[in-house]
Amino acid sequence: MSSSSTTLAPPVVGQGRVRQFLVTPIGAQLTAIVVFIILWQLVTVIAPRVPGPVSVAQFLWVELSGGSHGGVVRGQFWQHFAHTLRHFSLGLLIGFVPGLLVGVLIGSSRIAQALLNDTVLVLLTLPAFVWAFLTTMWFGISWQAPVLTVAFASFPFVTINVAQGVRSITPELKNMSRAFDVPRSRQFRHLTIAAVTGYIFAGLRFAIIIGWNGILLSEWFSGQAGVGFRTRYWFDANRYRGFVGWVIVFIVFIVVLDRLILNRLQTRAFRWRDPNAADAEQVKLEQVGG
Amino acid sequence: MARVDIQNLKKVFPAPQKGGDPVVAIEDISLEVDGNVFVSVVGPSGCGKSTLLNILSGVETPSGGTVSVKEGDRPARLGYVFQDARLLPWRTVMDNMLYVRDDDGKTAQSSAERYLEMVGLNHTGEMFPGQLSGGMQQRVGIARAFSVEPDLLLMDEPFSHLDAITARSLRDHLQVLWTATRKTVLFVTHDVVEAVQLSDRIIVLAPGGRIFDDIAIGLEHPRRAADPKVATLQAEILGRFEEMHPSGTANLENLV
Repeated sequence: MSSSSTTLAPPVVGQGRVRQFLVTPIGAQLTAIVVFIILWQLVTVIAPRVPGPVSVAQFLWVELSGGSHGGVVRGQFWQHFAHTLRHFSLGLLIGFVPGLLVGVLIGSSRIAQALLNDTVLVLLTLPAFVWAFLTTMWFGISWQAPVLTVAFASFPFVTINVAQGVRSITPELKNMSRAFDVPRSRQFRHLTIAAVTGYIFAGLRFAIIIGWNGILLSEWFSGQAGVGFRTRYWFDANRYRGFVGWVIVFIVFIVVLDRLILNRLQTRAFRWRDPNAADAEQVKLEQVGG
Repeated sequence: MARVDIQNLKKVFPAPQKGGDPVVAIEDISLEVDGNVFVSVVGPSGCGKSTLLNILSGVETPSGGTVSVKEGDRPARLGYVFQDARLLPWRTVMDNMLYVRDDDGKTAQSSAERYLEMVGLNHTGEMFPGQLSGGMQQRVGIARAFSVEPDLLLMDEPFSHLDAITARSLRDHLQVLWTATRKTVLFVTHDVVEAVQLSDRIIVLAPGGRIFDDIAIGLEHPRRAADPKVATLQAEILGRFEEMHPSGTANLENLV
């Protein structure tokens, strides 16, 4: 049998590093952003009415720093952003607390499930803009419309998830607790609360994303201040770089919030059912004869 | 060391369907268990074995008769091993061990670690149940039941959901634990072979929920399943089972 030798080409150092960077999460995300900005710039060449990335960045800088947009109009980013955040937090609280209570009720009572489950499912299918329209019709130009839009839009997402969490507490686990005579306070902490926590985070995450969409629309229709109001202000003034700038603010806020906080909280709360971790540990244990 | 005293126990469940007959799970059972003994309750499906344990643990209430489980003058402390592990999936193995204990802190933790080690699961305390195999989860369930230092340990077909090899390994772990602690155990199973290997006494229940036989096993612990003495006893007791189910034997003979 003859032997043969193969000469491998030396690795290209530069290519390897680029490839390594591209497969990291941060590298891939940064690359996607750069590609998007380049494509955006190219679009502005074909369609000159579309504001380019540099023009939008300049606008956002003036809006953030409180500088002049020309004439007497000055940047008002923080006032409007804080206004929206205040209303958003209040709406989320108003949607979350009843959502939690109704979720526990539906999850623990068959009668409540039969009575309320379909209603909550109908609410779940209603898009946020329907609530924005309805609350504007009911309350006119007022602070209640955006607050209640967030509350109505977030409520069913919290309810459905909490109900699912309560249902995950099986009769078998309750019987086990009773057989071992586990005190009720400990059952509440380790059985009820612990079972529902992950589902609460999941519900809250969806509620925030949907509610955030709702408040933009509601402020657009009926707000006197806020992110949605300011976005419409620049749209009505035919200043498209202002409109696009605020849309970007709106998107960046929710993406950063989700990536940095909500997604991590949910992953942590549900880490007990992470299949990848389970596989890794299972293999490790089987290797040591577990 | 617990004393179990059951007199004329009866349990009837309501009819599962409207207009149907109530289901008699236990017709009439009187039984006394006293001392550091391992007692198995054997019988076919539907003879009231699990119902009996559920009544002893307080999960079910009797329809008639009296049940007393005492340690001296006080109610006995119970440990329970179920058919499945019944661990809280969102809590770590150590948290599951501590969940059922009266105390917490370092003493409870070191006791939990000791029992985990006895079932060969040291270093799994920080893992979640979902990261363990079914057999390992059941070992945690057994360690948990022993760790509450029970006066009476109730075990409801704990190996019936496992494959034969895993079940055999767990029976060996159980024998090690029992030999070290000598708790009073009431072990429900439908497997006569398992009962003979583990028990000092076998209560045979007949369909309808009454005692058919009460057999003492006078072999030393721990026992190997392949031990000829164990095998001989198993054959003898299986023979008594055939007396209870003569029709099954007749069918087999017809086949031959």
